[in-house]
Amino acid sequence: MPEGSARAGRLLLAPIAFLYLIALLAPIGFFLVMSVFRYSALDLWVPTVTGENFARVLGESYHRAIILRTLKIAFFTTVGCLALGYPLAWYLARTTSAWRGVLMFLVIAPLMTGVIVRTYGWIVLLGSEGTINTLLRGLGLIDRPLKILHTELAVFIALVHILLPYMVFPLFSALAGQDPDLERAANTLGASRARTFLEVTLPLSRPGVLMGSALVFTLTAGAVVTPALMGGKDVQMLGQTIYELTMSTLNWPLASAVAFVLVVCQLAILLLYFGSGRRRAA
Amino acid sequence: MAKSILELSGVIKRYGATLGVGPVDVDLREGEFLTLLGPSGCGKTTTLHIVAGLLSPDEGCVLLGGRDVTRLDPQHRDMGVVFQNYALFPHKTVFDNVAFGLRMRGMPRHDIVERVGRMLTLVGLPGVETRLPGQLSGGQRQRVALARALVIEPTILLLDEPLSNLDAVLRKRMRLDLRDLQQRLGIATIFVTHDQDEAFEMSDRVVLLNHGRIEQIGTPEELYDDPTTRFAAEFIGETNLIEGVVVVAAAGPTVTVDTPEGVRYDAVAPDARLQSGDAVYVMIRPERIDLLTERPAGGLVMAVTVTKRVFAGDIIAFELRTDRGLLLRSTKPSVVEYRALSPGTRVWAVVRDCRALRRDGGAVSNA
Amino acid sequence: MPPDARAATVAGPARVVVAARRPPRLGRFAFGIAVTAIYVFLLAPVAIIVFSSFNPTEANTFPPGGFSLRWYGKFLESERFVGSFRFSLWLAVVAAVAATLIGFVTAYGLVRGWQRGRGLVQSLAMLPMMVPHLLISISLLLALLIVPVPELAVLIVGHVLICLPFTIACIVASLEGIDAQLELAALTLGASRARALWEVVIPLVAPGLLSALLFAFMVSFGDVYIALFLSGPGRTTLPIEVFAYMQWESTPVVAAITTVQILLIIGLGLVIERLVGLRKIMRV
Repeated sequence: MPEGSARAGRLLLAPIAFLYLIALLAPIGFFLVMSVFRYSALDLWVPTVTGENFARVLGESYHRAIILRTLKIAFFTTVGCLALGYPLAWYLARTTSAWRGVLMFLVIAPLMTGVIVRTYGWIVLLGSEGTINTLLRGLGLIDRPLKILHTELAVFIALVHILLPYMVFPLFSALAGQDPDLERAANTLGASRARTFLEVTLPLSRPGVLMGSALVFTLTAGAVVTPALMGGKDVQMLGQTIYELTMSTLNWPLASAVAFVLVVCQLAILLLYFGSGRRRAA
Repeated sequence: MAKSILELSGVIKRYGATLGVGPVDVDLREGEFLTLLGPSGCGKTTTLHIVAGLLSPDEGCVLLGGRDVTRLDPQHRDMGVVFQNYALFPHKTVFDNVAFGLRMRGMPRHDIVERVGRMLTLVGLPGVETRLPGQLSGGQRQRVALARALVIEPTILLLDEPLSNLDAVLRKRMRLDLRDLQQRLGIATIFVTHDQDEAFEMSDRVVLLNHGRIEQIGTPEELYDDPTTRFAAEFIGETNLIEGVVVVAAAGPTVTVDTPEGVRYDAVAPDARLQSGDAVYVMIRPERIDLLTERPAGGLVMAVTVTKRVFAGDIIAFELRTDRGLLLRSTKPSVVEYRALSPGTRVWAVVRDCRALRRDGGAVSNA
Repeated sequence: MPPDARAATVAGPARVVVAARRPPRLGRFAFGIAVTAIYVFLLAPVAIIVFSSFNPTEANTFPPGGFSLRWYGKFLESERFVGSFRFSLWLAVVAAVAATLIGFVTAYGLVRGWQRGRGLVQSLAMLPMMVPHLLISISLLLALLIVPVPELAVLIVGHVLICLPFTIACIVASLEGIDAQLELAALTLGASRARALWEVVIPLVAPGLLSALLFAFMVSFGDVYIALFLSGPGRTTLPIEVFAYMQWESTPVVAAITTVQILLIIGLGLVIERLVGLRKIMRV
């Protein structure tokens, strides 16, 4: 390689570095800094340093409950996505069917239709006049419609559905990248299918699992639309809280403090991912 | 002597703390076929890339026709390069590939068509202009890469292990074709390979490299008959190496060497600076050991037992053992008398000539 | 010691093919059912939307009672929906082009600037994916309040930010498949760096560029979070319009709109598949 080009190559990253700096890092940084400023009904915020926002976020039971609920839903959503996504990713990575391209597309396609679209689909499915209820009533299993919407369960189901592709991709990538001879070798050495999976495939797919989990967790924690539509006022998550504080209540410092907590949770997850992922870096 | 068109002077390339290659002092003469030979990682490709302008050396300079081109872009060096994997543009037809360099030089279309046609015929591929590289065999791709490099009529042709991706039979044939073509065109060429047979069959001179350093530069004969280092002796062909100490170093080229087995050799020493007391290897090429059933009158004679015998078609390889336990290898033509020698037989080994090489690992500079 | 260099070629041992143990039929059958079920889970809501868009009545029921195109009619009549649809399209095109350009420059820098060990830097390039879009959006809104920049520009920037990880991934994957020596060969043949790029790299990376464009388009068109905070009069995207509508009413016109969106996206997706083959891009 003409070495000038290696150096020049790195220079090419200047535009994106610049963009990220002024449009991503600086604004977010500033917004998070606001968490220590004082709220003012007149000017959105007053630059005096105070800890009252964090006191409220971490102290008030209302906010604490929301944080815990968000973490809980994020955790279960991640697990749910993992449970459903792994078999799917494994199948896609190992299948030799000619339909493979189509099958993969079918996983991406819902993703690209956007959050609103799919959330709406679930409203139709889970509403009191929705498909599930109609089906169950039609079969005579219940007389009154089940209240599924506006529960944590509804939010959970919808989130798993929406975020599933984000789990499938990294998993697929990790699984497809494995040398197929590894599984064959284990087999010929006497390992059963299950054993091979547990001892060879699963551990090797760990980077994919971590990446997918990190992604899903991030997306769940920051979700607004789906919890709002599926959960309404009954299921409040961090995202909605931030939205309301920013747009309705206009208490930006408090919103910032909540966002700060969100970011901290996320960083923790990301560190987990990078920490264990990097030790195994290829 | 033909004049130099390219000179590498004091060229050194480092990768961090490790030496990539250097110092390299070598020149390329008009019409010459020069080979850079050595095991993987010896720095031969690095050197080639420096010549081509794809790498800049940390020290030293590259002179093309007297002009310092060390920092000059590859774009302006007027050299034809054939890469190891050919680097044919997969999305362009054979014609477009070969015509590429001519297009860059602004040649009119009509001339391009003519030149490309001629060159393809020259490399033995008439009529493949419209095919894509993906549709060609390995050997054909190699020829297209060659055509592409040659059609621009460069000052120098650089070949980076162009034959290593071909199967053995094709490889042998391509060697001859390539050398033939080079001689017909009279173009100065630098060829990189790790294959010693290839280097010998094709080259006018060989630069032998090891771990980034030049071990020796010379014609194939010089390298074979008079290697100056242990590495050179062992890398080129097979050899016997016997440890010994110089006892007599007179003014002439011969020294007398004493060895632990009690045999004394009169060896030719390429390094004139050898003195009495220096540690050396006595190097004997296997075919320079004669095997006789009757003890000859004079010469360096040893009584040996045949311990192994391997039939290899045109030659037979023997492993011999002296009474003092020294193991020697000898190769002889596959004729009746030698075929008859079986393990256990006692014969007389006569060393026709041998060399003395310095034994501390230091290479003798040949500059 | 056999001088093998000169020996006749020796035939290798006969190759032994080892067949992997096949799993029991029942296990595979159960697995197949599971995978199918997951696919149903994944696609059912989407299918339901499409069907219910033809629902003649107002209720969000499925299966629909009949067949009617009235909701499509309502969609096309509605100024706000059509207007925002047009705006979304325009915005998506602008964001996609910008994200692809920046993505190309970045991807090229990544692949050519690091022969190995670019893992960390590449992960950094994916930063917007690791940050909740919500946060990105609010922060940009804040920046807007402080620095006098046209709001439309900030909206575009926001979309470019969320599209970049996708475009970079696409183009990096494409570039990796191109032999680095091709550019070197072009240089030695007398091409300038720019010429080499144009003649060799661009044609070969074109599928990657195309799929980057299309992915970015889809991401931008479907985005809700960025637009949530940065929309405004005259610059409302379709998803936001729908979201607002859904807070108060819930008629199948939403289904009609989303069906149109689905068709648009499926259409684009098929184009990607045709041009590039999804397998190559999935290696994120």
